[in-house]
Formats: sequence, C-alpha cells, structure tokens
Amino acid sequence: MARLPVDELRIIEGFGPHLSRMSGLRLSTSAEPERLVKTHCCFCGQQCGIQLKVRDNQVIGFEPWEEFPFNRGMLCPKGVKRYLQAAHPDRLTTALRRDPAAPHGFSPLGYEDAVAAVAGRIEQIQRTHGNQAVAVLGGASLTTEKTYLLGKFARVCLKTPYIDYNGRLCMVSAGAANKKAFGIDRTTNPWSDMVGTDVIWVAGSNVAECSPITTNYLWQAREQGARIIVQDPRITPAARTCDLYLPVKPGRDAALFAGVLQGMIEHDWLDRAFIEGFTSGFDQVAEYCRQWTPQRTAQVTGVPERSIRLAAEWWGTAKTSFLFHARGIEHHSNGVQNALGTINLVLASGRIGKPKSGYGTIVGQGNGQGGREHGQKADQLPGWRDISNPEHRKYIAGVWGIDEKDLPGPGVDAYELFRKVDAGEIKALLSICFNPKVSLPDSTFITRCLEKLEFYAAIDFFLNDTARHADVVLPGSLQEEDEGTVTQVECRVIKINKAVECPGDARQDWRIVQDIAGALGRPHGFTFNGPREIFDELRIASKGGVADYSGVTYEKIERQMGVFWPCYSEDPETGQPIDHPGTPRLFERGSYNPVARGNGPFYFPDGKARFNVAEYRPPVDDADEEYPIYLTTGRVVSQFLSGTQTRRIGPLVDQYPEPRVELHPRLADTLGIEDGAWTTVETRRGAITVRAMVVTTIRPDTVFIPYHWPGQKSPNRLTVAAQDPISKIPQYKVCGCRVRRADGPPEYAALLESQQ
Amino acid sequence: MAKPDHLHFFIDPSRCIGCQACVHACTECDTHRGHSMIHLEYIERVESVQTVPVVCMHCEQPTCAEVCPADAIKRSGDGVVQSASTPRCIACGNCVVACPFGVPELYDDRQIMMKCDMCYDRTSVGKKPMCATVCPSQALFFGTREQIEQLRPMSAPVNEFRFGNQTISTRVLTMVPRGVASRQPLVDVTAAMDDRPARRAVMLRVLPEAPVPSDAYDPYENVPL
Amino acid sequence: MPTVGREHVRASAWGLIAAALLAVLIVVGSRNLQHFDAALVGYTFATLFAAFGITYRYAIWLQRPPTRLYWRRGWQVFATTRFIRNIIELLRRVLLEFALNRFIFRRGRARGLAHWLIMWGCIIAAAITFPLVWGWIHFRTVPGEIDVYRTYVFGFPVQDFHVESFTAFVVFHGLVWASFLVIAGVMLAFRRRMIDHGAVTLQQFGEDLLPLILLFAISVTGLLLTASYTWMRGYAYDFLAILHAATVIVTLLYLPFGKFFHLFQRPAQLGVGFYKESGTRGEQQPCVRCHRPYAPALMVRDLITVERELGFSYELAATPAAHYQHVCPRCRRALYGLAQGALWRDRVATAPTARGSDT
Repeated sequence: MARLPVDELRIIEGFGPHLSRMSGLRLSTSAEPERLVKTHCCFCGQQCGIQLKVRDNQVIGFEPWEEFPFNRGMLCPKGVKRYLQAAHPDRLTTALRRDPAAPHGFSPLGYEDAVAAVAGRIEQIQRTHGNQAVAVLGGASLTTEKTYLLGKFARVCLKTPYIDYNGRLCMVSAGAANKKAFGIDRTTNPWSDMVGTDVIWVAGSNVAECSPITTNYLWQAREQGARIIVQDPRITPAARTCDLYLPVKPGRDAALFAGVLQGMIEHDWLDRAFIEGFTSGFDQVAEYCRQWTPQRTAQVTGVPERSIRLAAEWWGTAKTSFLFHARGIEHHSNGVQNALGTINLVLASGRIGKPKSGYGTIVGQGNGQGGREHGQKADQLPGWRDISNPEHRKYIAGVWGIDEKDLPGPGVDAYELFRKVDAGEIKALLSICFNPKVSLPDSTFITRCLEKLEFYAAIDFFLNDTARHADVVLPGSLQEEDEGTVTQVECRVIKINKAVECPGDARQDWRIVQDIAGALGRPHGFTFNGPREIFDELRIASKGGVADYSGVTYEKIERQMGVFWPCYSEDPETGQPIDHPGTPRLFERGSYNPVARGNGPFYFPDGKARFNVAEYRPPVDDADEEYPIYLTTGRVVSQFLSGTQTRRIGPLVDQYPEPRVELHPRLADTLGIEDGAWTTVETRRGAITVRAMVVTTIRPDTVFIPYHWPGQKSPNRLTVAAQDPISKIPQYKVCGCRVRRADGPPEYAALLESQQ
Repeated sequence: MAKPDHLHFFIDPSRCIGCQACVHACTECDTHRGHSMIHLEYIERVESVQTVPVVCMHCEQPTCAEVCPADAIKRSGDGVVQSASTPRCIACGNCVVACPFGVPELYDDRQIMMKCDMCYDRTSVGKKPMCATVCPSQALFFGTREQIEQLRPMSAPVNEFRFGNQTISTRVLTMVPRGVASRQPLVDVTAAMDDRPARRAVMLRVLPEAPVPSDAYDPYENVPL
Repeated sequence: MPTVGREHVRASAWGLIAAALLAVLIVVGSRNLQHFDAALVGYTFATLFAAFGITYRYAIWLQRPPTRLYWRRGWQVFATTRFIRNIIELLRRVLLEFALNRFIFRRGRARGLAHWLIMWGCIIAAAITFPLVWGWIHFRTVPGEIDVYRTYVFGFPVQDFHVESFTAFVVFHGLVWASFLVIAGVMLAFRRRMIDHGAVTLQQFGEDLLPLILLFAISVTGLLLTASYTWMRGYAYDFLAILHAATVIVTLLYLPFGKFFHLFQRPAQLGVGFYKESGTRGEQQPCVRCHRPYAPALMVRDLITVERELGFSYELAATPAAHYQHVCPRCRRALYGLAQGALWRDRVATAPTARGSDT
C-alpha cells in the first residue's frame, strides 16, 4: 500500500523542497566557465535557447543565446534562474526505498538492487493480476526520445495498454480539435508570422506569465500596426494594453466564438471562396451560430455586446490575422468545442496557410508538442499514429519487431487510470516526470488512489509530492544531464544538449527504463546505447505518419537551429530520397501532404479543412446558489507546473512565495475580506485557506488561485474532475466555489516554509 | 574599454509585463553579482497590473554625482554613470534621495551605494546588458538607433525629462509615440503627479480610422455579483 | 572664471599654510635640524609637497557645495547633540570600521583582508618613517652604555632599550614587518584585480593598479635594502637606497591625486554616520504622493539647498512650495512609468499638447 511512510513533515524535512541560491562558483565573479553548452530552457513549451556555463561538472550560470531565432537571447525569470536546479541539496543521488523506520521515511538503496526490486514487483503483480495491472505515467517535460521509449516500454516490455502522460492536462483539447479540423495537430505558422498581421486574437492565454517570450512577438506586431484582442476573465498584462479586451466569464468561450462568428456571418465578413474551395461543414456551423445573437452572447459570456460586435468587425474585416489559444479555453469539460470555436473563426476568415496569417496553440509544457506525438499518449503510436488503426499498428509492430496481435490497444487517460486504480484494476504504477498529487483535479481522490496501489515506483530527480508515496524511487536525470530532442511551440524540433554528468547513482532516464526491461528479462528492443540511437528508431517509426520526423537529424537541427516537422526523408509525392528542410508553415495553397495526396492543403483525403459545430455547454459544477463564485486556476510567471523544480529555486520562490487568491474589491467588500487576509475558498470537493490579493483586475464574480503548490495550498483540492468527453482534459478553469474570511491562519502557516 | 557609441539603451515601460526576468538576470552581472540593480514595481497593484522597470538613465549631468559630498560618482567617457567608487563613497545616501528617477540604492552594511552601471562588464566589451538581453517584452532594448527605428515604426526615442522646472537629459532613451516625439520630444514626469494607473490602457493607434474601444476604463462595470 | 580662481587661491593658501606648518614642525621637532638626516632631504621635500597637495585638494573638495554642507553638518551634529555618547560611538566606529575594516570585509573576505593588510602595513611604515625623516625621533646610545639605545622624541629622551633586546629587534625591523603586510595585501589585491571580472571591467591603471604597483615597489626595495646590509654586506646598497627613495618620493607626490587621497576623504564617513543618525531621530519627510516617510526631513532640506546652490531647479512650478525632492524614490519611479504610459494612452494624440485631457 503506497501510503506515506512517515508523517509528511518529516519527509519534507529530509527531501525538501529546500531552496537553492547563488553561492560558491555561482556567485563568484572570477570563475571562468570551461565551456558554454547551447541548449534550451527546461521550462514551458517555448523552449527558449540558452547557453549554460559549465565548470567542474557543475552548471554555474547562463549566457543568453542571441543567435537562436525564436527567443534571440530573451528569457523569462524561470529561464534566467533555471541553472540553480542542478547541484541542488534535494537532488536524489541514490535510489530510495520506502522505510517507515528511517527518520525521513526513505533509506538509500543500491541502484542495481532498486532496479531488481522494481522488476521483481512488476513481474509478480503481472503474474498474479495480468499485464494490465501495471500502468505507466509519463510526462511532457521528457525529451521526445524518452517519451518514445516509454511508450514502447509500456506496450512491448510491460505489454500493458495503460500508459498516459501529463500532457493530458495540457494540450489534448487543442490536439483533438486540430485533429478534427485540420487532420494534423500542430501550430500552423512560425511565430514570426505574427509580426505584420492586422489582428491578433489571444484566446485564454496569459501570455505575460505563461509564455513570456510571446509577448515580444505581440508587441512587435502592434508596432507594425496589429490590433490585439485578448479574451480573459482577468486583466492580464497583455490585456491591460490590448486594443480590445473581452472579459469573458469562465467557461463561456464557445458561446463567445459562436457569437462573433454569427456577427461575421451577418455582415458577410467571410472568405466565401476559401470556405467553398478548402473547407466543408460550414453550413451546419452557420446554422448553429444563428442562435448566438449579440444580445444572447453578451448575456451568456458576460462580454459587452458592443465588444462582441467590434471583435466580429475587426476579425471579419482584417486582411491578415493570427489567432492563438491556450489553457484558458482548453481546460474545460468543453475544451475541444472551445478550441474548435476558434478554428471556425479562422477558417471562416480564410486566413490560414499564408505568410502573416495563421493559427496556433501555445504549448504549456516543455515538450508538450513532441511529448504527445510519439507514443506515450494512451491512444497513439509514434508519428502521431492511431493505436486503433490496423495499418498503423502493423507498421509500428514491424518497427518494434513484434507481432501486431501482441501490441496492446488503446489505454485510458491519466485521470481514468487513477479511477482504475481506485477500482482495483490497476495494482502497480511506474511514473516519471509527473506529479499527479499536485497537478490533477480533486487531488484528495488521487491521494486515496495512490494509497491503494500495491506497488508504486517513481523515477525522478527530486522526491516530488507524489513520489513520497513510492515504494522505490529511482534517481533519474535532470534535463541538463542528458541529450535528446524536443519539439517547441512552433513545432520546431530542437536539440537539448548535455551539460553535466548525472551525480552519484543517478542515471539518465532512458537507461533506467532499459535497465528495468533488462531486469524483467525482456530486454529485446531496449538495448539502445544513447538518445541518438533511440532517435534513429523514432525517425523510422514516425516515417509515413502525420508527425513525420524521418528527415530530422541531430546535425540538421544544429545546422538550421531547429527543424519544423513534418520533415521527410523521402519526398511524399515522388518517393525519392530528399534533403527536406522541414515545414515551417502548414496548409500553403498547392502544398502536398501524404494524407491529401495533392487534393488540397489540409490533412484529410479530400484536402479540405473541416468546420465543426462548436457547441456551447455550461461547465460542470457551474456556479450556483450554494457555490456562487467562479473559481479559476492558472500559473504565475515564476513557477512551473507542480513546482517540483521551481519551488526549489530560491529567487523564483522569493518572487511569488505562496498562492494567493485574487479577488475583486467589490467581492472582497461584500465578504469583508481585505488584502492579505486569510481567506477560505471552498468547493464541493474541499476547502483551502490562502491569503487574499484584492485587485480590480479580475471579474468581480470570479476568483483565481495559481496551482503550483501542494497539499493544503493546492487549489486542485478544489477543482472538479470533470473532463472533456473527447480530449479528457480536466476542467481546471472553472467551478463553483464559495469564499469567506478565514477564522485564522491555516495549520500549514506555522509548519511549512512558503515553497513546501 | 568602453560602451560602443552606436549602441543605446531604449526603454518602453508600456511594454513591461512585470515578469522580473530583468531583475533576476541583473544579479548575474559581474560588477554587482548577487544583487539586482534594476527596480521593477507595480505602480499600484490593486488598480492595475501596470509595472515600471527602472534602470539608471545615465544623465548627461547626473544629479546624484553633483550632490555627492565625496565626489564618488563618476561618469566614464562613454556616458555611463558608474556606481559609487568604493574607496570614496561614504554611504551618506544623498544620491538615493536626489536621483530624479529613484535609481541608486544604499547598501548600509557595506557602506556603499550601488546602482545600475548598464552591465559595464558586458557593454564595455560590446555585449548587451543582461536585462535588455533577456527582457521578454523588450520593454528594455539595447541596440542601434537604426534597429529601433526599423522595429518600432510607431515609436520614437526621447531623452529629455521634465521634473517641475528642471529638464534632465539622459543617455538612456525612452520610447514615446512618434507623433508626440516630433511635437514635443520630452516626457513631463511631474505632470503625472496626480495620475493613477488605469486598469485598462488602450494603446494609441496609428491608424486614424481605428475606433477607440469603449471598454477602456472599467470592463467589469456591469458584472453583477 | 573668477569663482573657480577664488577657490583655487583659497585652496592654495591652505596648502601653503599646511606645508609651512609641517616645515616649522620639522625644524622644531628636529631641534633646528640638529637631528635631521641630510640624506633624507629628498623624502622631506616630497612630504612637504604632499602636505601642500593634500591640503590643497582637501580644500578644493570641501568647497564643493555638498561637501561643505555635510562637513559642517557632521561637526554640528557631533558637537551639539549628545556629545559624550558621540565620542563613545566615534571610538566604536573607528575601531570597527577603520581599525578592523568591517565594512570592507562585508564586501568580500579576501577583499577585506587585502585592504586590512595593506592599511596596517602602511600605517606602521608611516608611523616609523615620517618621524624619522622629519627628525622627530632619533636614537642614540646612552653615554657609558654602548649597547643601550635611547629614543628621543622631539629631542626629549623617552625610553632606553638594550641593543640586542627583543624590543630592539622589533623596532629596528619595523619596516620589514610593515612591508610583509603590504606585500601580502598587494598580492591579494592583485589577484582580485586579475581574475575578478567585475574588477577587471571597472579598474583603471592610474586609479587602481598604479597604487598597488607603487606600494609593492616601496616594500620590495625596502626589503632589499635590509637584505643588502644584513646578509650581503651592503651590496648595491647605494643604488637600492636611491631606488627605494625614488619609489617613496613618487608615491608621496602621487598621494593627493590618486586613489590614496581616500585616506583623507574617508573619515568623512564618520561624520556622515552622525548626520544620518541624528536625521533618523528627527522629523521624517513624508512623500507628497504616497504620504509615506522616506528620508529625514533635515536631509531633504539640505539636499534642496545644495541642489539650488548647484543650479538645479526641481521646484514644481504649479505649487511653488512643493519641490520634486518631496516625492519619494519609489513614487519617482512610478511617475516615470505613468508619464510615459500617459503618452501612449493619449486619445488626442494629434492635439498640439503632448498629454491628453483624459489623464
């Protein structure tokens, strides 16, 4: 039973999070770096280029990498201080086993013994309960090589269908919508296409805090004359100075898009020729939109009617445009519909597949894009192939040298996977790069599930909040301790380079996975000597898939500073070997793709994009009389995801030490809450108490809490586990809550440091 | 070694998103490692997310240097006003109270004033200062006049500031709307004395036909509770 | 520029007075040059010049409006409020900050150590050399006791000691000890100036390296002199003596101009300490914008006076009583942002004034 071995406070005392700060070589003004390693930031999907200064096998600082075209030296605070995560006092340098007798709940274990223990338990549980009793959870901060290996490991070595990843909490709504509308799941244009457009629509993205580098693209576009529309329940920094702010009520995005499209239809601000020639399904969408008059849209969305009309006019009459969206509209039980709503606006305008006109989804996690393309997603095989498609299965089984019949079918999403743990179907879990105890909604349920596991092994570099439940912890690698590729927000495949060696017993994650396969006596297919070899197999596995990486090589990445996929090794049209440069912009008129085979630019057999009726449905667990206020969650700029890394970096913690609940003074007044007061936010799942931050920059009917903290500080104790029926993304961005002034400080205030 | 003459520091506070990348990056510089010399503050967080990044403006006739009793603040030949000279500074704090932009800071324990020296370890060898290199919004920009002109057709740099009756010229340039710059190339700082940050600040459009959006001041006015 | 002229005339006068005073003291102290060593005349003239130069520069410095004001204020505060307590506090600070260099150690341990070694080496060397050069101290054997020395200060006998005593060894090798301290300190300082990127960036040869080179040269040539007469039977002694004299004289001539001038400026830190302390006890200036106190009212008043003297006019025209100095530094930064932002927000950007009516 994967219960916490000892009181959590004692685990925290031993394993952190503690803070690292500039000291020693990192503070010295006389230490010369031995070398500069060109690589990328490990946080967020922008994957900014950065050079790490290395000396004595330690990352001692950074130097901006101004030649890298995406960010040209720019970095957010996380990028600037990311180097402080290495050589950290909390770094796991040995394997650990759960030991209730040890002062901090874990005692060190030799690496070989640890691997043997993991393999032994997996073997035993599979023998007793079947292969399906073991599940694997991966993460979207891993390199693409690792995600590929992990998918292969689950299906070939463990023979279990149950693998999923934390991209489930990030990109799946966008991905599903893209698949439905375009037949390919990718941002369509490089970010540089934003500069020079007439209008940019930012739908549900706090660019300034979640993808800071994109801000410069926005402002550059504005300097060149673009008007900027921002849709958000909060006046974010981008919303403060945008040209049109749409203060949408949480969870009403699909209605807003329908209303705007209706406005465009009414005034015939449409690209009829494009709709006719390159799309299908417009009529049904138009039919659906008819009910979304400006009045009704305003009523449902909370956006003033005049602003809806103006948005329709600006969007409808622009010559060039760029629309991008992020979790703000995707983290909903209606997330796919919301994303489809934006795509309908884009398709109706015909402004896609051209320079200065495009559509994009802002990737949140480090390898949110590459991490979902090559096989750690429950329903996918490498190359964005479909695990239910017989042809795809056959091809991948061939690459992996197994019988197609032995390849498991689709698994379930990460949340459902925990429900299966709860139901007793899954008995053992191997996780890497995922901290579900903090990041999944209704996290009290997740904790309960963890406690039900018969065996839990975690691979990680720090003992994260979830790994505290583990029976065995294997010390994995930090991003700077390994090489490999990731695919960033523009779908540029880039190269992470190794800066330092793993400390102590820690191993590169791919080695650990292979060692487990070896210890299980199933080493076949898990004998790679390095990421390059894995990547070479991945290229073959992705060949002919929509996400075709076959023409990408490490050398080409370095030469071109990244390669946009699809990048073919053989011309899809002629079958001849080519030196393909990659595809920065999709859907250009006259372009050839292997799905449409010349019938059109989109990735369907007829080459046409699909309009999909993007239906508005009210959120699950919406605000009501009992829970009258909307709770929404999100990020702050100095923290990343569940904070396993960023809550250990001193300067980042100083910047925003603890979660606070943002609320409008009007709401605060009625509740008698002043700025800084301890405030309890309660939903049907639970309650947490945090300090109030009274600001006029949020809708008065909405409160916001950032989600990077665990335990009693975690708003995911409040969020609802409602999921989108298609993408299975959880509805993090809205649920009903009630708010009151707390009687006093919460228990944790006296016990825990701010980052813990 | 000196900062190359053709490279300039340009600030556009209206671009700032308050992310503090500059503050963190500043601590990486060798002339003040471990300490940030840049000020980045919310003007009034309750009202607005507006933030303002302030680096040393490197005045042509620096008030801080003039009022320094120890004669410890020097301007190098390239126009960079350096931090107080360590042997001289007597930590009186006059510069802190005198600077019209509120830049210098006193480190009482070490009895020294330190301030932004435009990352002299970097600019003096032709590199960009840390803050302007990393700034994700490029509110802080370092480059040539040609570059800024090409990148920012709506803006123009000015380097004159009015504080009451006093006009101060600086080496660091501030971006203002092009039209403003051609009519009156200065920023009247004290004219903002009674201003409060607006929740929403609709940016000036170059296109004359663009309507002024009506959501400017309180977009939540009609949100019922 | 008549005013500049007046400043210089005044400063020159002070310089001459100081040099003359020193000359008189030399004559008196050496009993009409009776105990004056003619071989050291070069040194003597260098010190006279240094006395002139330092006083001249100090006087020029004191005539800068801010320096004058704070110099005066420092003494005022020191002498008029809580005098006894001030004396004790002064002693404490002299010990901590000056004798122990606490504030420099806080800038860096090696840096503090380097400075402390150099400082004490120089103090010891100066304490030995100057009185000897000026003939204020001399030693003579006690009549009848060939191996006992008697120390004379200003011609008065002070102390006797045996020629082979430990005291004699320590006293006669005082300069050796001093040079050890200086050399160690200079090495540490040089190390920093070679490898510390920040120091390398900002240092200037004349200002930062030359003083170290001079100190090093003085110490090494001095040590060579000792080595020459102790172990090498005076080999090349004359040459070394001239070389040593040259290094010392150059340093003395350099004193008023370069980095070493901080020796004379630095004590102002003590005065400023009292000024600040008394300011903290007194009335605080509230910011006219945010109403939070940000500095002693006395300091702000003095600053306004100094700024006016310097020709700045930060008066706010609209409200003549108000001065921009009455805005706290934080609000000044906010105003910069607000003023720039207002230009962008301006709805009537085509109107002739820069700022709109909606602000």
